[in-house]
Amino acid sequence: MESMSAVLKSGGALFSGAEGVIQAQVRQEDKTPREDRLTVGLPFVDDARMTCRGVSVFYGEKHAINNVSIDVGRNQVLAMIGPSGCGKSTFLRCLNRMNDTVEGCRVVGDIQLDNLNIYDRSVDVVPLRAQVGMVFQKPNPFPKSIYDNVAYGPKIHGLASSRAELDEVVESSLKKAGLWNEVSDRLDQPGTGLSGGQQQRLCIARAIAVRPEVILMDEPCSALDPIATATVEDLISELQEHYTIVIVTHNMQQAARVSQRTAYFHLGDLIEVGSTDRIFTNPRHRLTEDYITGRFG
Amino acid sequence: MWKKGVTLATAAIIFASAAANVSAASGRDYISIVGSSTVYPFATTVAEQFGKTSKFKTPKIESTGSGGGMKLFCAGSDIDTPDITNASRRIKYSEYEKCQKNGVTEIVEVKIGYDGIVLANSKAAAQLSLGKKDIFLALAKEVPDPKGGEKLIANPYTTWKEVNPSLPDSKIEVLGPPPTSGTRDAFVELAMEGGCQQIDWIKARKETDKKHFKSVCHTVREDGAYIEAGENDNLIVQKLEANPKAIGIFGFSFLDQNGDKIQGSVVEGEEPTFENIAAGNYPVSRPLYCYVKKNHVGVVPGMAEFLAEFSSEKAWGEEGYLADKGLIPMPAKERQQFAADVAALKPLLMAK
Amino acid sequence: MLVGKKESTMDRVNRGLARRYRRERWFRLFGLSAIVTSVCFIGLLFVSIGANGWSAFQQTEILLDIHFDTEQFDVDNLSTANYGALVKNSMQTLFPDVAGRSEKRELSKLVSSGAPYILQKMVMQDTGIIGSSQKIWLPADDEVDMFQKGYILRDVMEGDRRLSDKQIGWIDQLFAEGRLEKKFNSTFFTAGDSREPELAGIRGAVAGSLFTLAVTLVLSFPIGVATAVYLEEFAPRNRWTDLVEVNINNLAAVPSIVFGLLGLAVFLNVFGMPRSAPLVGGLVLTLMTLPTIIIASRASLKSVPPSIREAALGVGASKMQAITHHILPLAMPGMMTGTIIGMAQALGETAPLLMIGMVAFIVDVPTAVTDPATVLPVQIYLWADSPERAFVERTSAAIMVLLAFLISMNAMAVFLRRKFERRW
Repeated sequence: MESMSAVLKSGGALFSGAEGVIQAQVRQEDKTPREDRLTVGLPFVDDARMTCRGVSVFYGEKHAINNVSIDVGRNQVLAMIGPSGCGKSTFLRCLNRMNDTVEGCRVVGDIQLDNLNIYDRSVDVVPLRAQVGMVFQKPNPFPKSIYDNVAYGPKIHGLASSRAELDEVVESSLKKAGLWNEVSDRLDQPGTGLSGGQQQRLCIARAIAVRPEVILMDEPCSALDPIATATVEDLISELQEHYTIVIVTHNMQQAARVSQRTAYFHLGDLIEVGSTDRIFTNPRHRLTEDYITGRFG
Repeated sequence: MWKKGVTLATAAIIFASAAANVSAASGRDYISIVGSSTVYPFATTVAEQFGKTSKFKTPKIESTGSGGGMKLFCAGSDIDTPDITNASRRIKYSEYEKCQKNGVTEIVEVKIGYDGIVLANSKAAAQLSLGKKDIFLALAKEVPDPKGGEKLIANPYTTWKEVNPSLPDSKIEVLGPPPTSGTRDAFVELAMEGGCQQIDWIKARKETDKKHFKSVCHTVREDGAYIEAGENDNLIVQKLEANPKAIGIFGFSFLDQNGDKIQGSVVEGEEPTFENIAAGNYPVSRPLYCYVKKNHVGVVPGMAEFLAEFSSEKAWGEEGYLADKGLIPMPAKERQQFAADVAALKPLLMAK
Repeated sequence: MLVGKKESTMDRVNRGLARRYRRERWFRLFGLSAIVTSVCFIGLLFVSIGANGWSAFQQTEILLDIHFDTEQFDVDNLSTANYGALVKNSMQTLFPDVAGRSEKRELSKLVSSGAPYILQKMVMQDTGIIGSSQKIWLPADDEVDMFQKGYILRDVMEGDRRLSDKQIGWIDQLFAEGRLEKKFNSTFFTAGDSREPELAGIRGAVAGSLFTLAVTLVLSFPIGVATAVYLEEFAPRNRWTDLVEVNINNLAAVPSIVFGLLGLAVFLNVFGMPRSAPLVGGLVLTLMTLPTIIIASRASLKSVPPSIREAALGVGASKMQAITHHILPLAMPGMMTGTIIGMAQALGETAPLLMIGMVAFIVDVPTAVTDPATVLPVQIYLWADSPERAFVERTSAAIMVLLAFLISMNAMAVFLRRKFERRW
């Protein structure tokens, strides 16, 4: 498998094309040599759920993501790590077009979900976001009851035809999120009254209630205490069976614990991708090694 | 919440436009009156009486000032314009002309009575006896040089005694209406110009340089001795009570209502009493008018009846309810004359 | 680092500490004195208005034995009966000694000139009382009322007061017989305007204010909220929206009379709407309160945490759904507070209404938004300018009513904010 890396490296170069040259001029403060910023490792998989090719993101004049190509494997957890400001969250938010809400944000390149370009003019973001759910850094339940929080998505998408069916969706979602036992007797109480870890699991239940194919998680445990973090991590491992998950994390141990593949981002570039074991035990790229050995970040 | 708001807004717009259409189509079932704030208390009394005793609605009366009323009245002859305007002075030729130009060709002029303008001070102080000349000298911006000669100087007088040795030695402090007021116009014209005329060489100017004569006689001093107290005459009465040295200028009805607190000054030897003003002895009094749009009579319900009420003896007569409100009635003959004119709707003819 | 020959960090901190606390004390003292001063002024205002206006809630009434003589009434035409004579006759029987035309006139003046109309109304409502004798409390004339309340003094010279010595004698006699009493002035709350103080009430003005405010609310709230939502959530940030924003903020500071002139030019002259109507008043006040509502609504939309928006979008809500389901309900308390404050502002406004003819004498209580009407502050202005002394206390009483409305509206704003703000 590792022998393919050389080929892939040239593949990455192929994708960068002429644009890369211009970018090198713009980003003069970056001292890393141009060739060092080509992706190392295995960005592509055979049975991909989402495929990204040559994705660049601009915030006005600022170039936030630079020509990233990567696949998200089916029923896998892909962890994205990297120092602050490396663009991993920005990239994550491209996957369900959450960046559309940011003014002045421009995405170029090709992102496909089940062989359909999600940035295509014909694609509607509303069903897209139902397919690609999202869990945010800070738990953000709606200021409504626990029940309404989970039921909201199915309601607006018309996924439940009756009250009983809706009840069922809520129950199963809460069960999948491992929250049912804790809240089954107080579904009518405000979601904001739960503890931080419970709130985050409620948000996960809310996301899975619309039966997405992919769940994006943006540092879901950064606002939680270690015990709550452990619970959520266990939950991620369980969900992996049915869902494709992309998780951004600051915590390398977390990436190591929950993910099968890990991608390392650095200043807007995807530096290295590979199986989690390989990245943490035998990083190929000097920047990846520096980061996971704690030299910066 | 959102949907409800949208529905409400739509409903409101439909409702508003419907309402506007209805009112435009059906015309008006009440009389609309505008004009002078001096006539307002009398016109409203008649209107109320009319509303109670007749089958018609009570007329609506806006207090817009004489000039403002004329402007609205002369704006046109259609039903949206007022039927009657009140004035504390006679209609000016320019206004008459404007009326004619806008299609208000037939105006009925009704003199309704007189109003005295009084100078009054607190009962705590002595009653003043003023001549018109004293008033002019005390309040004009420029006065003849006291040293003699036909020369005008900025008003040097600070006390009444300086103006006239027979007056008390107290500071000149007069609270009066602002220039926008009809009371002020009448006061300047009757009292100040009257005083002006008593100075021979200025009077002679009237023939040679009328403009200059007017500016000398009509300009009130602005150095703080004359204080513009706003349109609210009640406020002036309250201020007079608090400051016995001050003198106030306002309509007779306010003196009439507050006889226990303030006293009117004698002007040219005449006390400002009901009888004196009615007899025409008190020099600072003015006629009050209302002007009626003839082509609205018969269109707006109750016009003729309202005019009959206004010109009846029980309203504007000597014992009428308007006299209770402080209106000084016209002499009996004049009343008869105007009542007959109103009944016949005799239009006003005005020549330049 | 700082330790050594030089003084220690703690010493330095401690040296400045006293000064820092002194400053804080001064600032607190300053703030406290500002609040105390303003509370004193407000107290003074309330006390002076209350002291002036309290007596207006009572009205002197006279108990008369009215005999509804059958001969006086023509059953087919009840309104033409001489009700004035009924009042005069009953006064006459109370004071049989009074003779002579002028004396009789003085006597009948003790009872309000509105008394005959009260009797007329009674007869119209119930023809059964014709032929009977009734004991009826009728309002006394405003002069009698002022005398009873101590505003007209006995020891003033007779010619200087509006009641003669004889009249005062009659009043004393009536009082001694228990036929003259101060009673609760219900007329003040149930009648429209009148030139007779004892018959004047604020109902017409209150109704006018309510109609005007209803039109204002119905128009300005949805328009204001929709504008705020559009500007905050949909409009692109460019030079045009900047221009719109600057103009909205500007409009909030434009003197209200300008809106009146605009109303006169547009609603009356161009659209031909009726003068003096609450409909036009409401439209003008809508223009005036819109900027306030828009600014408050935008501020409260801004204060909704972006995480809620993201959460909604994240589960696949459309932008409109995110706004109507989540953002608007959260912003609503702030919007309502802004709206109520705008309404309170509109309630106290007179200047723009002057231009569209709502400063007027209107007796009939309005029943629709196109009826001629006036509003509370205008009523206060008109009464304050009336010569009759009894209007002085009524002016203050009307101010008390207006203040009560304002206080309850602002209290409602506080209540709504408390109730809904971050309830979860």
